[in-house]
Amino acid sequence: MTDIAPDSLSRRSFVYHKLRSLGARFREHEGAAVAVSIGEVAVEAAQARVMALCDLSPLSRCGFKGKGAADWLAGQGLPLPDVNRALRHANGVLVARLGAADFMVLDGLQRGASMARELAAQWERQANVPGTRGYPVPRQDSYCWFCASGARAPEMLATICAVDLRLHRFAPGCIAQTQAAQLNVVVIRADLGTVPAFHLFADSASAGYWWDCIVDAMREFAGRPVGLDALCELKA
Amino acid sequence: MNAVNRLPAPAGRFLDRSHCVTLRFEGRDYPAFRGDTIASALAAHGVRVLSRSFKYHRPRGVFSLAGHDANGLVQLPDEPNVRAEATPVPEGIDVSGQNYVGSLEHDWLAAIGWLSPMLPVAFYYKAFYRPRGVWRYWETVLRRFAGLGRVNMRAHPGYSDKMHLFADIAVIGGGPAGLSAALAAAAAGAEVVLVDEQAHWGGALNYARFDAAGVRGAQLADELGARIAAEPRIRGLRTATCTGWFADNFLSIVQGNRLFKLRAGAVVLATGAIAQPMIFRNNDLPGVMLGTAAQRLMRQYGVRPGLRAVVATANEDGYGVALDLLDAGTHVAAVVDLRSRPDPGPLSEALVARSVPVICGHAVAEALPGPGRRSLRAVDVRVVTGEGRLGTSPIVIPCDLLCISVGYTPAGHLACQAGGQLKYDGELAMLALDAMPSSHCVAAGSVNGAFNLDSVLAEGVHAGWRAAGLAGIAAGAEPPLPARRDGAVGQNHAWPIFPHPRGRDFVDLDEDLVVADILNSIADGYDDLDLVKRYSTVVMGPSQGRHSALNTLRLTYRAGGRELHGATVTTQRPPYQPEPVEVLAGRGYQPTRLSPMHHRHVALGAQMMPVGTWLRPAHYGTVDQRAAAIEAEVRAVHEGVGLIDVSTLGKLEIRGPDAAELLDRIYTSTYRNQPAGRARYVLATDATGVIVDDGVACRMGAQHYYVTATTSGVDTVYRGMMRWNAEWRLDVDVANVTAAYAAVNLAGPRAREVLAGVGVDVDLADFPYMGVRCGHVAGIPARLLRVGFVGEPGYEIHVPAGQGEALWDSLMAGGAPAGIRPFGVEAQRVLRLEKGHIIVAQDTDGITFPHEVDMAWAIAAKKSFFVGKRAIDVQAARPLQRRLVGFRLAADANPPEECCLVVRGADIVGRVTSVARSRVAGCVIGLAYVAPDQAEPGSRFHIRQVDGGILEAEVVALPFYDPGNRRQEI
Repeated sequence: MTDIAPDSLSRRSFVYHKLRSLGARFREHEGAAVAVSIGEVAVEAAQARVMALCDLSPLSRCGFKGKGAADWLAGQGLPLPDVNRALRHANGVLVARLGAADFMVLDGLQRGASMARELAAQWERQANVPGTRGYPVPRQDSYCWFCASGARAPEMLATICAVDLRLHRFAPGCIAQTQAAQLNVVVIRADLGTVPAFHLFADSASAGYWWDCIVDAMREFAGRPVGLDALCELKA
Repeated sequence: MNAVNRLPAPAGRFLDRSHCVTLRFEGRDYPAFRGDTIASALAAHGVRVLSRSFKYHRPRGVFSLAGHDANGLVQLPDEPNVRAEATPVPEGIDVSGQNYVGSLEHDWLAAIGWLSPMLPVAFYYKAFYRPRGVWRYWETVLRRFAGLGRVNMRAHPGYSDKMHLFADIAVIGGGPAGLSAALAAAAAGAEVVLVDEQAHWGGALNYARFDAAGVRGAQLADELGARIAAEPRIRGLRTATCTGWFADNFLSIVQGNRLFKLRAGAVVLATGAIAQPMIFRNNDLPGVMLGTAAQRLMRQYGVRPGLRAVVATANEDGYGVALDLLDAGTHVAAVVDLRSRPDPGPLSEALVARSVPVICGHAVAEALPGPGRRSLRAVDVRVVTGEGRLGTSPIVIPCDLLCISVGYTPAGHLACQAGGQLKYDGELAMLALDAMPSSHCVAAGSVNGAFNLDSVLAEGVHAGWRAAGLAGIAAGAEPPLPARRDGAVGQNHAWPIFPHPRGRDFVDLDEDLVVADILNSIADGYDDLDLVKRYSTVVMGPSQGRHSALNTLRLTYRAGGRELHGATVTTQRPPYQPEPVEVLAGRGYQPTRLSPMHHRHVALGAQMMPVGTWLRPAHYGTVDQRAAAIEAEVRAVHEGVGLIDVSTLGKLEIRGPDAAELLDRIYTSTYRNQPAGRARYVLATDATGVIVDDGVACRMGAQHYYVTATTSGVDTVYRGMMRWNAEWRLDVDVANVTAAYAAVNLAGPRAREVLAGVGVDVDLADFPYMGVRCGHVAGIPARLLRVGFVGEPGYEIHVPAGQGEALWDSLMAGGAPAGIRPFGVEAQRVLRLEKGHIIVAQDTDGITFPHEVDMAWAIAAKKSFFVGKRAIDVQAARPLQRRLVGFRLAADANPPEECCLVVRGADIVGRVTSVARSRVAGCVIGLAYVAPDQAEPGSRFHIRQVDGGILEAEVVALPFYDPGNRRQEI
């Protein structure tokens, strides 16, 4: 894959201007430009084990909510977690249950067929089929998606969020729907291999503000932004 | 410069003698060691005066060396009232004393002390209230004479933040009880956060003398400190002050520039006890200090506090002070024991063995000052003849140091905040902690009245065990609990108060209050402790009564003839120590929302303006080009094509079988009969009929509406829908998708041409005004709305937010041949005003109902219900009180500002809500509320301008531009 200019594709991250100013390299990922690295991938992977922030906003995700959504998703072969829990599917897709009838489906980090996009398309194809399937929710564009990874991530998050996110209290699969830095955020613990990872979802219009808050908070812990390839290294 | 009082190691447990630092104080440099505080570094060099007192400008020096009093408040360039006794030497920063005119050594305002007989307690209440209003003058004068440090208004706030902590058990206090408790709790499996003000664990172990050899404290501190460091379940916070206990064991802890918010399952309060002063004449002189302060200087900082000392005591600890002084090379001239027959103890026996004279049954009547009252020259000692009474024959003992050890009071602030109470125990002559709540807090150690070190340690272990149980952790068998308040008997002297006929017998050093001030407060009728406090301001200074509350209680109750036993102190409120406001504020969080096209606007030179939480382009171009830029942007829309970012518009998805029903109930018009593919105006009112929002509802399908709302109103509308539907239980889903969609309005006679040029798969020829279509624009999935807010043919194009910038880029590039021009909020305001469209919250206010703004047309009169209908019906049946009308002024008129008043003679009848100079109208146009009888076109009314001038305006029919709406047919 070759590097591309982040604005050469129509789908763009909400913070690509910030990443570009850091010297990030971008590659196409499912029709969107994603920052794959800012420095050496191996160095960034080591950084991500300690404390790093990665923009995953361009990666695909979708949401469904309302009466019938759970049954419809189960019918698509997805495992359904309990409320406020997330469950990883065998193909890497993460299903997060934000409410009894409120789901968010997140693609894995690796390139490949996008389950989230396929689900959204499938729902549209069945739009005129009788029956209740809930309603699609535009999580792709309403939320930015950042990943705070590393052993020190809980400490960093403790400076901006009042929820106890320590590793032994906030286990993989836990979800917190709370406030951080005066923003409504969804925090999902979904580790990358053995490295703790907190997936953070917040208002996409506030993405720049939210990014800056986290970068500022993680400075104390020597945290830095990294690209997607570093997280893929951890996953591998 | 030699540190004349510096002691060799091993004195100075807190010092790192391998690292030298330099303190700059009052313009002079003082070499010090890392680990020194400002006060200890100065004491090492024999500097006695740290600052000046609050009221009488008396020289003040080290008193507690614990940061517990106001004597040691010093000034840093950007920070006043810094506690010199607790602040490490700030290298490279000038430190100075406070509250003086001239120099710290020679303060001109010290002359105020001579006026003290004319400045009785609360003199300012009595002196400066007549004639009426004179206080404002006197206040500025008095503020110059009294006070603490100076705020540097040009100081830049530093970086401060907050961190949330969680623990099974919080242990406050790192002394013997706290350390034992933390270790016991951790051993039981609990996660523990241990908090202490000092940089080293140990508390009193670091300075007090527990045995004749004087080694047990340090050994124990080292041993416990090592065990704490080795215990992974304990997180230690040193140089951290727990400033408050709040409900559910929520604790505020300040450490440097960080405020920790700790939530704990249970709390152990091992906050220790605070040594108390003795009251006699000149008990505030530099050189008079608590015995614990002298011990802290010697043992913690390796500083000899004086050359020739007298120790005034009423307990065994005073003898320990004297032994420490001897060990430090200080000549102890005498130990003055207030007790006539003190019980012998290991420390007193050790002292007697070292041939130090002990004068029993005597007390200090007066400290005799050296030159300028900046030092101690001698003490006047007399026999105690009764409670607070002394004989007439003085024994004058020359000395430069007087150490006081007459008792303690529990550091019970947090315990009281947690529900406990401090009550005077007549038998112990001590305030004792009582009524501690058993469900969430445990007190241990000297705060709980235990003074025997072995008992303190055992109490700590028991408290850790008990706290673990409170936190729900099985902690095994109960450890032994020692006798309550073991060692407390004999610690406190019952009446260490010796008023002097010539005064200067200070009860409260913070506020310069003497015994007579307390007694005069009572004589003035303020005989309750709380009234004495507020009238005299005793215990209200920076030290919050740590050294004054106990003696004030004694004086007040005794003067009132009341029984001291069982008496309680005034309410103990947070914070325990001063908290810098910037630490309370933490990081400045101000969420700002940006449209996906924000960076494009900035690159085009937009002047951004806040709209709610969003930033929007006001206009493009420099500020000094504002008027011309707005006019050019308006002209582009009228004559060519313009593009405005309307991503900030609120957007709601309403879906489900009852979607139409929900809209019919929320909005004033009818939507169940709205065809798919059409947009319809929506107007929302609240239950009182007041207009709260507007927008358009696009019917996307039989059970699907896409509704827009105002930028600042959408959250309220969304919440309202959710709240109402919780009651109505309609089968409908409401989603706020404001951020999910970017949107632009492509407007102007050439808009269709541009849209067609960038590629659109919607039949533009079959796309009527107020039509809605789904398709693609420049390959981007889009919802298109034919709207006319700005009076020209326009397409509102909504696309996924992640593709908003790409849409903008395509339209700007594709529109270049047509001369496309971005336009901002200001131009849009002019354009909509020309069409007579109102902006909710600008042209309406908190009491506007639809008929006042001529919007009865937006109300479906036949509907049986919508939110606000009943109120609107009631209001509509009454005569209108005001009406919103369009008006115009002469072309050469100076436009009034928005919100200028509409007046009729001396009466206010309305206000201007919008105003702009319109090129197409050829004059200044606007909207204003007027009296109903002024609302007919052709009527004239008066606007009062900001400068008081009166403008005459003419009412005209709306809209100002294209009344037949023919522009939409282009």
